[in-house]
Amino acid sequence: MSKSQPATTKQIHRVVIEAPIEKVWDTLTKTDAVLPFFFCSVMKTTKLAVGAPVRMRSPNDRTTGVAGEIIEFDPPRCFAHTFKFTNYDDPICIVRYELKSIEGGTEFTLTSENVPVGTKTEKQMGSGGKMIVDGLKVYVETGRPALIARVIGLVNALSGPFTPKRCLSSNWPMDKKVL
Amino acid sequence: MTPESMDLLFHALASRVRRKLLDLIKERPGCSVNDLCSEFEVSRIAIMKHLRVLEESQLIVLQKNGRRKEIYFNVVPIQLIYDRWTSEYSAFWAAKTVDLKFLIEDEISASTKQKSSRRKKPHE
Repeated sequence: MSKSQPATTKQIHRVVIEAPIEKVWDTLTKTDAVLPFFFCSVMKTTKLAVGAPVRMRSPNDRTTGVAGEIIEFDPPRCFAHTFKFTNYDDPICIVRYELKSIEGGTEFTLTSENVPVGTKTEKQMGSGGKMIVDGLKVYVETGRPALIARVIGLVNALSGPFTPKRCLSSNWPMDKKVL
Repeated sequence: MTPESMDLLFHALASRVRRKLLDLIKERPGCSVNDLCSEFEVSRIAIMKHLRVLEESQLIVLQKNGRRKEIYFNVVPIQLIYDRWTSEYSAFWAAKTVDLKFLIEDEISASTKQKSSRRKKPHE
């Protein structure tokens, strides 16, 4: 183990969801609905297609936690978009969701790439990634949100009065290029 | 999680070498089999066997990158164990309890290190 640390890293989160691939895909790509597996935020886009903007907003639309652009959209196998936490100045990274039909369900893999090492983004990606994968599994299999109490805290932190001004949705309009 | 996959997971974790492998893989996302072998005195075949057990339990994910095989740690199975036996309330107090344990133990190991010249690894 002599090589030096790369400047960016990649994290993989994988789980088997006991549901057909279409069900997982539909749940994952739902727009304009509160997503219990994604910190109770709402995915907003102009169109689910490559090149379209994507925003993760609070249910009341006031704040935007994540901004990016769709870079792969291949139903029901792959969905990828660029990803930036609006409250950090870290460089943009990539989040890729891959689905594979296997015996007994769907293998779901979340990969985050180009994650800058040693940044807040890396830390949040690590804890966020496992919550999304785990939460999606429970939500698809049971129809009930998992870990709801745990994520509520995060949502409140995001939509509460102490939200940094830079996270306000007005600062992240759909036509803004995220770099 | 099926009872069978739970069995696989606990079997995978019930090995000192495999836990050490997980530590190394977590530290170095995307490392190769060779990277890992150099850390152990056992044969490459033995390491490959351990890696297969870890892969079956989903604790690691292997990905091809050209001719190279990259190994990644997958924390999700551990999160599933955690969710099964923890509640929001118990998680809070359990974390506090563990923090206290580590705080005190670190203080003790720091003071013994000062006294003795021979240093020991904290975790085995």
